[in-house]
Amino acid sequence: MNIRFLSICLALLCAVALPYQAQAQDPLKITIDEGIIEPLPFAVPTFQPESAEAGQMASDLARVVAEDLIGTGLFREIPASAFISTVSDFNASVQYADWKAINAQALVTGAVNVQGNSVNVKFRVYDVFSGAEMGNGLQFSGTVDGWRRMAHKVADEVYSRITGEGGYFDSRVVYVSETGPKDDRKKRLAVMDYDGANVQFLTDSGSIVLAPRFSPSGDRVLYTSYESGFPRIYVLDIGSVSRRVLESADGTMSFAPRFSPSGQTVVFSLTTGGNTDIYTMDIASGASVRLTNTPAIETAPSFSPDGNRIVFESDRSGTQQLYVMSATGGEAKRISFGEGRYGTPVWSPRGDLVAFTKQNKGRFHIGVMRLDGSEERLLTASFLDEGPTWSPNGRVIMFTRETQGAGGSSTLYSVDISGRNLRPVRTPDGGSDPSWSPLQK
Amino acid sequence: MDTGHYISGTGHLVFIGWLLFGSAFDADPPPFEMTEVSVISGADFDALVAAQQSPDTSTDVAQPASPDVPAEVPDVAATPDTAIEQPTPIQTETPPEDIAPEVPELSLPPEAQVDDTPPELDQPIGDVAVLVPDIAPEAVARPVERVAPEPVAQPDPDAAPDTVEQEAVAPDATGETIEEPQEAQSPEEATTEIVTEATAAPRASSRPPGRRPAAPQPQVADTPVETPTETAATSTTDADAVAAALAEALSGAETPAATAPSGPPLSVGEKESLRVAVSACWNVDVGGRSADTVVTVRVNLDRTGKIVGNVQQIASEGGTPAAVASAFQAARRAILICQKQGYQLPADKYEQWKVIEMTFDPKKMRVK
Repeated sequence: MNIRFLSICLALLCAVALPYQAQAQDPLKITIDEGIIEPLPFAVPTFQPESAEAGQMASDLARVVAEDLIGTGLFREIPASAFISTVSDFNASVQYADWKAINAQALVTGAVNVQGNSVNVKFRVYDVFSGAEMGNGLQFSGTVDGWRRMAHKVADEVYSRITGEGGYFDSRVVYVSETGPKDDRKKRLAVMDYDGANVQFLTDSGSIVLAPRFSPSGDRVLYTSYESGFPRIYVLDIGSVSRRVLESADGTMSFAPRFSPSGQTVVFSLTTGGNTDIYTMDIASGASVRLTNTPAIETAPSFSPDGNRIVFESDRSGTQQLYVMSATGGEAKRISFGEGRYGTPVWSPRGDLVAFTKQNKGRFHIGVMRLDGSEERLLTASFLDEGPTWSPNGRVIMFTRETQGAGGSSTLYSVDISGRNLRPVRTPDGGSDPSWSPLQK
Repeated sequence: MDTGHYISGTGHLVFIGWLLFGSAFDADPPPFEMTEVSVISGADFDALVAAQQSPDTSTDVAQPASPDVPAEVPDVAATPDTAIEQPTPIQTETPPEDIAPEVPELSLPPEAQVDDTPPELDQPIGDVAVLVPDIAPEAVARPVERVAPEPVAQPDPDAAPDTVEQEAVAPDATGETIEEPQEAQSPEEATTEIVTEATAAPRASSRPPGRRPAAPQPQVADTPVETPTETAATSTTDADAVAAALAEALSGAETPAATAPSGPPLSVGEKESLRVAVSACWNVDVGGRSADTVVTVRVNLDRTGKIVGNVQQIASEGGTPAAVASAFQAARRAILICQKQGYQLPADKYEQWKVIEMTFDPKKMRVK
């Protein structure tokens, strides 16, 4: 009772004292937790030619920059026919009111100078509604032949300044080019720009090739070839197009290779005596280490970005599921628990997600999940989708889609990790097994 | 003895409180006037006194003559008062007696006849071979839909979404307004969530129950557990009472009357209206790292509801510096784009909204 009396006295004192503490006036506070999801409208007037030879290239550069941004699904280009004012001088001040009137939220201006074989492109990005430039102007120099790469670099920088994350336009994709009917399909390794331009073939069609994988530095490719009659892993140098086989014992089959983040080690599957397990091999010395040792089929390993863990597929539980283990082997933890079968896991460059192929009820899906198996999202659904690969910034997934029937063909597709912007990748022939390179230096 | 301590302690606390906040109880001192005083000489004083003496009475004023009053008073005939007719009360009809409704007796429904034999299902149609053309059709990109809090149906085919924002034009008071024929326009089509190609498939697979360790079973002690003493229970109750009393006193500091600016507060509807107005222009990159970033910005508004000065970032939570910068840019764009002619806010409550802090939290958007 006494304590109760004391508490009442204390409360009275506080009640008298506290109103004197609250003297500052708080502003109105509101929380916005719902918005819209739509492409951001932007304008790219044709870049200004600063030399007589630069006219066509200025137009082409601006077009590639615009197409890169549109291709992300995050931007919508405002057609030039809607422009109220033009940009006739790269260094002149921008008439923001004219661009606001057509709802251009971002404006990209540029200028191109061509002298012989040398090209110089400079650009600026403006936030129209805040009336300020986003970052400083920047310029790139290169050769006439490399003008598309310069356009991709400009687009990467614009993308990065607006979204706050790295770009992926100045990157390449190695894939298996496919021609001919299904029962007599010719397969060759090919490499191209991320948007399907500049295709170059790396092998002939004399033998079946599978699953090419870029090295972290982008100068080498691992792939599996049936040239010897059995699947063997090869390392191919893109610059010199020279290759060598990674040795394995006779009577064994090695496949599904992938580089470690350091580029010094390869993780792959090896089948011996009817059992498939995961191994690593030091490329320089050829020394290999067995990481799994179960009677189940374990394959499709992929390193985490820090190189400490490996995600792979295994049917040790009775169905094909995804597991994560240490890069040195040991006990694996299952991360997929849904219906159907999971395969071909690939660790995101950001490190927070795993992309996979899922087969369920006769349909194939490309999906993503977190490393603990939560937040699984299926991004696609078709007769056959498989083999995801991440863009360098971890924002886009490219994969193979095959159509049904004897005349079905394989096509490369890309999709944003939100599930939006599903679109085919332009290739001269059919394509499968894509592998995205890191950003080019 | 304890009682004496408590009385002494309470008295000291009240005394200390009076010392700290005693000035709060002091009545305001009465107002007083100040008058300027000037010094004058004796001669001036005599002159002033002489000037203020009252004048002498010069003549007597004649009194007015009294009016003539007739001696006889005229007779006035008085009419007797008549009784006022009272209205006769209306006799109301006696209401009929309530009749108890007839309640049918409840009867149990007939027992359902359950047939244990499963129904015969139609046999599924077997796979039918479909002839596929040799040349696969050209792959077409899937259209990207607009996602907004409010769904908008597909526009009329004759109407085109307005790609160019047009400001409202005020009618000219002096001249005649000639209305030009306008093409039919409709709001842009929108859905409320991202619809992926895999929508028909289960969005997420349910995880099997984890292998949690078995919950410890309660152990039954052989010896009876002692009942807590009354002293312990009383102590707990008193401590709770102290905490409750303090919490109650402290909660008073969060009342709007103590912290709100002067003037009438904005109603919930007015706040919601502002929130919806800004939301309509907040474009969220749900797949980007800025979707994990919460930013808070401060804006100053003039009396017309337009932004004055710069939009200031005052806080952020989560994300890399680049993601924070991107999230802030998106928030700033939303505020600036949607202000148009000024946010529609009540003018009489300007003191309430002249400074606004807006927190942009995209967490709910990420799951769309």
